[in-house]
Amino acid sequence: MAQRAVWLISHEPGTPLCGIVKFSRRYPTVEERAKVFNGASYVPVPEDGPFLKALLFELRLLDDDKDFLESRDSCSHINKTSIYGLPVGSEELWPVVAFLKNGMIYACVPLVEQTLSPRPPLISISGISQGFELLFGVQDFLSSGQKTDSELNTKLSQLSDLLLQTCPFGTLLDANLQNSLDSINFASVTHPQKQPAWKTGTYKGKPQVSISITEKVNSMQYDKQEIADTWQVVGVVTCKCDLEGSMPNVTISLSLPTNGSPLQDILVHPCVTSLDSAILTSSSIDAMDDSAFSGPYKFPLTPPLESFNLCYYTSQVPVPPILGFYQVKEEEAQLKITVNLKLHESVKNSFEFCEAHIPFYNRGPITHVEYKASFGQLEVFREKSLLVWIIGQKFPKSMEITLSGTIIFGAKNHEKQPFDQICIGGTAYLKLHFRILDYTLTGCYVDQHSVQVFASGKPKINTHRKLISSDYYIWNSKAPAPVTYGSLLL
Amino acid sequence: MGPLGREIWAQRLGAFRASPSAFMAGPEGEDLGRDLLSDLRSEKLSEPMKVALLALSLEYPTQLWPDAPAAEAAATSLLDTLVLLPPRPSALRRPLLLAATTALAAGGALSPASGASGRLLPLLLGLASGRDLGRSFGPASEQRPLQATAWECLRELESCRPGLLGGCLGLLRALLGREGPAQPLSLLLALALRNALVIQARAGTGLQGLLTAGDSSMEGGPWNWTLAEEGDVHLQPQAPSWPVAEEGECGLAVLELSPEEARELRATVAQLLDASYLLTPVAQAQLLWLLGWALRGLRGQPPVLFKPQLVRLLGTAQLTLLHAMLALKAAFGEALFTAQDEALLLRRLTLAAQHPALPLPTHLFYLHCLLNFPENWPLGPTGEEAAPLLLGSQLCRGLLPSLLHEPMALLARLHLLCLLCLEDEEKEEKGQDRSPRHYLEELLAGLRQRAALDGGPRALATLCFQASYLVAHCLAGQPVVLTPLTQGLAQLYRTRPALAPHFIDLLDRVGPELQEHLRVALRQEVVSRPGREEALRWHLQMLARVADGDAQSATLSFLQAAATHCTDWGLQQALLRVCRALLRAGVGGGLADLLQALARQLEDPDGQDHARLYYILLAHLAGPKLGVALGPSLAAPALASSLVAENQGFAAALMVQEAPAPIQLSVCPRRAEGPVPVLRLQVEVLEPVYSLELRFHVEGQLYAPLGAVHVPCLCPGRPPRPLLLPLQPRRPTPARLAVRALYSTPSGLTCHAHLPPLLVTFADLFLPFPQPPEGAQLDFFEELWDSCLLKGTESRLWCPLGPEGLEALVSRHLEPFVVVAQPPVSYLVAIRLPPDSRLLLRLEAAQADGVPVALRTDDWAVLPLAGDYLRGLSAAG
Repeated sequence: MAQRAVWLISHEPGTPLCGIVKFSRRYPTVEERAKVFNGASYVPVPEDGPFLKALLFELRLLDDDKDFLESRDSCSHINKTSIYGLPVGSEELWPVVAFLKNGMIYACVPLVEQTLSPRPPLISISGISQGFELLFGVQDFLSSGQKTDSELNTKLSQLSDLLLQTCPFGTLLDANLQNSLDSINFASVTHPQKQPAWKTGTYKGKPQVSISITEKVNSMQYDKQEIADTWQVVGVVTCKCDLEGSMPNVTISLSLPTNGSPLQDILVHPCVTSLDSAILTSSSIDAMDDSAFSGPYKFPLTPPLESFNLCYYTSQVPVPPILGFYQVKEEEAQLKITVNLKLHESVKNSFEFCEAHIPFYNRGPITHVEYKASFGQLEVFREKSLLVWIIGQKFPKSMEITLSGTIIFGAKNHEKQPFDQICIGGTAYLKLHFRILDYTLTGCYVDQHSVQVFASGKPKINTHRKLISSDYYIWNSKAPAPVTYGSLLL
Repeated sequence: MGPLGREIWAQRLGAFRASPSAFMAGPEGEDLGRDLLSDLRSEKLSEPMKVALLALSLEYPTQLWPDAPAAEAAATSLLDTLVLLPPRPSALRRPLLLAATTALAAGGALSPASGASGRLLPLLLGLASGRDLGRSFGPASEQRPLQATAWECLRELESCRPGLLGGCLGLLRALLGREGPAQPLSLLLALALRNALVIQARAGTGLQGLLTAGDSSMEGGPWNWTLAEEGDVHLQPQAPSWPVAEEGECGLAVLELSPEEARELRATVAQLLDASYLLTPVAQAQLLWLLGWALRGLRGQPPVLFKPQLVRLLGTAQLTLLHAMLALKAAFGEALFTAQDEALLLRRLTLAAQHPALPLPTHLFYLHCLLNFPENWPLGPTGEEAAPLLLGSQLCRGLLPSLLHEPMALLARLHLLCLLCLEDEEKEEKGQDRSPRHYLEELLAGLRQRAALDGGPRALATLCFQASYLVAHCLAGQPVVLTPLTQGLAQLYRTRPALAPHFIDLLDRVGPELQEHLRVALRQEVVSRPGREEALRWHLQMLARVADGDAQSATLSFLQAAATHCTDWGLQQALLRVCRALLRAGVGGGLADLLQALARQLEDPDGQDHARLYYILLAHLAGPKLGVALGPSLAAPALASSLVAENQGFAAALMVQEAPAPIQLSVCPRRAEGPVPVLRLQVEVLEPVYSLELRFHVEGQLYAPLGAVHVPCLCPGRPPRPLLLPLQPRRPTPARLAVRALYSTPSGLTCHAHLPPLLVTFADLFLPFPQPPEGAQLDFFEELWDSCLLKGTESRLWCPLGPEGLEALVSRHLEPFVVVAQPPVSYLVAIRLPPDSRLLLRLEAAQADGVPVALRTDDWAVLPLAGDYLRGLSAAG
């Protein structure tokens, strides 16, 4: 369950090493155990320099991929998880848990409490999920609120102390590092009985509960006979419970209007104490029918101090909020495009913003555009080969808008214009970006009166809702487009 | 030496962290551990700097204090420093406890004999259990973090030395019921319990009241090491709650508990599980793993205790919790999870593997878990990835790959798709055109299209070939998949020949089902399209891998056409490598012409030499030998350089090996005729021998150097005609011939052997004079007889005769040389001895037991030889 070492490496393409070790921590007592457990198959954890080099090579993050290298490019060298074997000298260090997120590589080496030859299946190694959780925890800590480089550096400098708290000997005690930071700052809180380990202190002040529902809608629209359009809503419910007492009990209910779309695939926060089996079994895997559980979805819980994601869900709404088609025709040196977008009548026609991004990949810069838009304005980013159609806050009464235009491109310059591996030949897409406040596509809401709090004082309940687009693609219907298996099952 | 300054330490720490091994090998390395310990007590050094020093010791204790005595001394010094701290708040107490623990555990110094261990353990237990240790342990505000740290230190020591806290189980259990932090105590109790059960099971004893015993360590007595000593000095691999690991090797022998012990154990586990919601999710997962391990080997301990926790855990998105649940599933199977539970767990896992709210690494790990799902009743062989029985295609729909996925996700999902195709095939074709197989084909086509993109990143090409490999591997038995795959790959090559290295790699790795068809398709692709210049390099590289004996003429004409474009060294070498491959494949006639042409045509001398060499090899070596000569060297398979490998191949194959002789050589009775003496040699072989060359050397330069004798092939049981070895004596005298044999073995090696020497006798040199005309024989002899005396000599001797008489003796030994014969009493014999001597014998008036011989020779030196010869005749019979 323990980790032998942890690293944070910033990926810096263009520099000689392509990366810098920003943080590393070794656990010598765990290393001693690894020696005994692994026996003859034991491979010591290398120093930072060789580790950096081996990891970047394995993750294909070195700049040079010009030539075929068997140890990296061989067809049988297949990785299907974020767990790698790194060549170290003549041996291989395994398992190394590693992933890249926002320019930072998070890596650790879990202890395997048995011999490594033959390699045990990953599923049987408890340290793997613990390692992931540690890295996710570090990632959350670094990315929370962090905007500038100096903020990042401050957080990096705190990391050593934090790990001394949350992972003093390589066995993780709490993946929530922020928690430990708070407990360092408030060390003098006296401990009542049965204080949970995930709650470092108690709240003092006016009781209030904030619950916000954020739904993201993604879609793939093809406008083709043989391919079905797909769309899905992914929701997250975030809570912050400022309540007095060491273990206040709260029940939060999510409700749907009569025509609302059932919530599915619900994953809850570990602080939820029990779950209705209907919640547990409602799943997008099954074919939908009218008998689907449609709430209310009750979540009894003992909230932690900090803000947390109470639950995630998905939902299959009957229609996409905006239905569109996009056609691109190549005529000699120019492209002719036609875009049509239609907002569904059931959707709240009041956007914070709504834009259609129309990128042109694997071509030169835009040299000339002629267009006609029935609504909104068009911005042209010539060097980026990108058109942005700004639709604004509202669709017109007809709910339907169109854009047509002719575009001419200059000579292709590989360094400047964007490369895309999907948009080859006629394959092209436009992507919608929009946000609607105080609205959910499923209709899901929190009734203030349904929030039950078993604690002293009547808390103030705040609720928020919003709908955001995410990966909302409309593909050129005149060319092949990437499909998922689901789109083929008409 | 006084304490080092802050800057110096900062510098040293920086240098050490940059490369610990380099620093320790340097001049300052030796003193680092000692300086660090002494400066921790220095008043000049700030607290943060001391914390930094301790942090270093937490990470690198084995470098600072490399052996157990040093570690023991360091731990003692750290404990002394801790005790000497003034009773005000200090940031050093926690790291000092951690550092002392680390030094002892990592340095191998933890033992009953260690003084530091004897001080640290009661101190930790005292701090952890909240006993008042006096003012020296800092202000009250520090007690809680110190307590938590002490628990962690104890847990780490118990991890490194299982059984260490076996004697404290009763105390830990009692503490769990009281107030205080639940997490560290729960985890330590679970760990100590698991370890105690493992050790006791191995010893074949029960828990012996450990769970109910009071604690002796608390009363200030010496630490109870009994269980730790029983647990061996070393850790035992104890993972496997996983069924894949062979039963019986899991370190958990079956332990029988008394009813009372079983009740106590159950109560303890229930207590731990009931309080588990107080633990952080990662700690809950650890607890479940530990308790799963602990209970797995126990009879009569039904795992239903875990049931109440499961529903709560099933709902979460926490990776560690779902993973721990899978571990319980693996450990207890049907005893904990009914078929319905299993189905539900599988559904939750399936949905977690694709839930949009979870990050990619989590998806991938869940996919792995799905393909290694611990089923209640697995059908397939263990240890192989397979889709669980309950995971139908409906459940998998959302898990299938698409081009929009990240490479790793695509490959993982592709694997699942392949497994589905396999199942689909077993179920029989349903006639629907959107079967998984069609989807697979479209996906592969999309991958190839991306890989074909000129100037695209190599990762795209790699992904395409990885996917092709995976499909070929999983669906090897399905021609209906492999045929379009082969065609698609051939087309990809046509579009982007620069991917040749990937193709070659794929050919080297896939099974024969795809390999053979793909090779043929690629060869056709290359030879049917004379390359433009930039693609030529790839075509040649490809052809060197795919060319064989088939389609010779097309291949050769491609090469002929290519030769005119091979202007630089690299291309020429590539071309020659193809020739080499063809040579190995046994291509003959046309290739010889091509090689000759290349030897003339290529500008580069190296290329010319190679072409010539290949031509010579082709012309002179038989097929099997060529194969060996050009084949990869077995001598040094680790060397990747083709140049070295090629040379070594040649060296092994073309160098002559010393070997014991497989040949026996003997001299046959000779025929005295011709202008020079000729030895007739009989050869016998024990094994087939090819290209035999026999070399002879005359000792003492008595004869002119002898030419070698060549035999193309010798087989055992088929004696060849005798070999003829003409001799050119410089003096008419017998000699010894040293004989060496050079030959090829059937395996293609060239060998060299020394044979026993051959003896050339005096009689072997005898040649007759030309036959004089009929009637003139006597005159001819008399003339010779007379002429001999001019510079020669005459002698007489008695030649004994055997019972057969003179006639038999002459006919047997001297017949060819008799000039005048009057049987049975008189013979005149004339012998020519090369180079230009003669020996004349008159055997006249033979008697019963001998014959007087008058002999004349024109060479004095011959006389003794002739005497010996004549005297030996009767003995020779």
